[in-house]
Amino acid sequence: MTGNSVILAVARAILTRLLVAIPMLLGVILVTFLLIRIGTRDASLMLAGPFADAAMLERIRSNLGLDRPIYEQFFIYVGHLAQGDFGLSWISGRPVIDEIRPRLVATMELLLPAFAIGGFAGASLGIASAFRYGSRFDHTSRFLSLLGFSVPTYWIGLMAIFLFYSVLGIAAAPMGRIGMASFPPPPVTGSVLIDGALAGDWEAVVDALHHLALPVTILAIIIAAPILKHSRIIALDVINSDYVSYARSCGLPPRIIRQIVVRNSLAPILTLAGSELTGTLAAVSLLELIFAWGGFGQWGLNAILSGDFAAVQGYVAVIALFSIAVFLVIDLLVLWLEPRTRS
Amino acid sequence: MAIAISEIRAGDRLARLWRRSSSFVVGSALVALLVLTALLCGFVSPYGPTQVLPNAILQTPSAAHWFGTDGNGMDVFTRVLYGARYAIAIALPSAFVMVAVGVPLGLIAGYYGGVVDEVLTRMLDVLRAFPSIILALAVVSATGQSLINVVVVIGLIDAPIFARVVRSEVISIRRSDFVASAVVTGNPTWRILFVHLLPNTIKGAAALLPLRMAWALRVSATLAFVGVGIQAPEPEWGALIRQGAEYIISGQHWVAMFPGIALVIAVFGFNLMGDGLQELTDPRLDVKK
Repeated sequence: MTGNSVILAVARAILTRLLVAIPMLLGVILVTFLLIRIGTRDASLMLAGPFADAAMLERIRSNLGLDRPIYEQFFIYVGHLAQGDFGLSWISGRPVIDEIRPRLVATMELLLPAFAIGGFAGASLGIASAFRYGSRFDHTSRFLSLLGFSVPTYWIGLMAIFLFYSVLGIAAAPMGRIGMASFPPPPVTGSVLIDGALAGDWEAVVDALHHLALPVTILAIIIAAPILKHSRIIALDVINSDYVSYARSCGLPPRIIRQIVVRNSLAPILTLAGSELTGTLAAVSLLELIFAWGGFGQWGLNAILSGDFAAVQGYVAVIALFSIAVFLVIDLLVLWLEPRTRS
Repeated sequence: MAIAISEIRAGDRLARLWRRSSSFVVGSALVALLVLTALLCGFVSPYGPTQVLPNAILQTPSAAHWFGTDGNGMDVFTRVLYGARYAIAIALPSAFVMVAVGVPLGLIAGYYGGVVDEVLTRMLDVLRAFPSIILALAVVSATGQSLINVVVVIGLIDAPIFARVVRSEVISIRRSDFVASAVVTGNPTWRILFVHLLPNTIKGAAALLPLRMAWALRVSATLAFVGVGIQAPEPEWGALIRQGAEYIISGQHWVAMFPGIALVIAVFGFNLMGDGLQELTDPRLDVKK
């Protein structure tokens, strides 16, 4: 395959993905827009407080555009969104995007390392189980994965805080990303870890790592469970395939067989991991709540609870955008791993 | 004599089932335990589910209070037992909504194809790209917090999954002779859908049911934990964990720990049962044994 055609294939993959993604994004936003709006009590009542008169309510409604028909409100919203304008928070009055941006970094600080660790552990254990199909190792790892699948994130988080903070005293206090007594490093990226390293403030780096350790470990376990379950099934299918039987009957050494199986399981496992990553945003939001992390997920949950419609819509839109970006990256990785898909 | 033989047969059958899928047997036993607890909690528990004991606030687990008491002076053991009722009251009706909405949709989409099918597939794509717990949270919080709302929202969010399973089964048998002969003998379409096609497609949906019930339990507990949906003092497990969360740092772990264990057992039971059911019904996995 020439370099030119590879570039062509990549461009085509990006284009088709985006063509599918845009209606999908609109769909998510429309569905949540309608569902939330149909159910919501009159927001102006909530915002104005109990002592507002009719004229004031009217003013709030027209300020927020609530006096227009709902389809018009939707088109106005989408129009603004297309220009990167997420609107103003109904509670704080600040632009939603300014509230999201710094918090998103805090969330990624949890999510990305946990996903790397959990994904790697889950996939390797899953493939290893498939090779030992029916053995005690296989049964144990299947059992553990199903158990991990059944344990609520927030509960295991609370129990870990109890054990490692309250009893053993080795974990950092579950109150944010850095200790109360230490000064955060000057913000560059927004990540305490990276900023600390950039400023050469190793004390802050160690403190940030200390705060990251527990939530990242829990999140990694939560992520590993479903990936283990599915990658075991994927690898089993590959092991039982005709081409692996053929390779076996040709007398290839087990090491090569293992390589063949891993290579061929990787692409479907990656695709699966991508859809898990978006689901993980719910788990990360709950963990942030428990660890008072101050990230995007905690902010979104609070927006839902306080009925801040603009913020909830922003939360939903960013999650949808994030999953589209993840699917795109996964598609490209699969394209790179599997030459078959390039034609 | 006849009884003895049938007993042997029953035991034999159980042993065979155990060999084919031990997960199904263990999972079903856990689910049975859940149902029993829901039925019998009124007789077993020493206190009322919201009975306040003013002299027993935040007590450690003891002989009088096996799981301790919470910050209001309510017996945690009693409340955990009564939580089983909420679990059933959520899992069963939401499963009913999933099936009642999803299966007909799948039948219609699979049989007619075209626009209905297209819309359904797109809806599924949208749902797949979005964490459903967050969708449930946003919608329940907006539509009002009651058991009915929680059940309906969970059921509706999950219905497309059933629709997809039924749809693909219908597509695979739509062109078979028995459907054609049903058409030429003049059966109305609804009869073909619900009498001829439904029994042939329901197996896949049925095998999915316990897994989705496990999911329903998880979501409803998560909603209650966040503070949307069923709220304290109702003895729902998620709501109990929420109550216990504030005592974790000060070390009174029992308020949150025991309802969490109950929730894990229930969800795990449904998951095991569903896993086992798929093992039993999936011909692909059968060949390997």
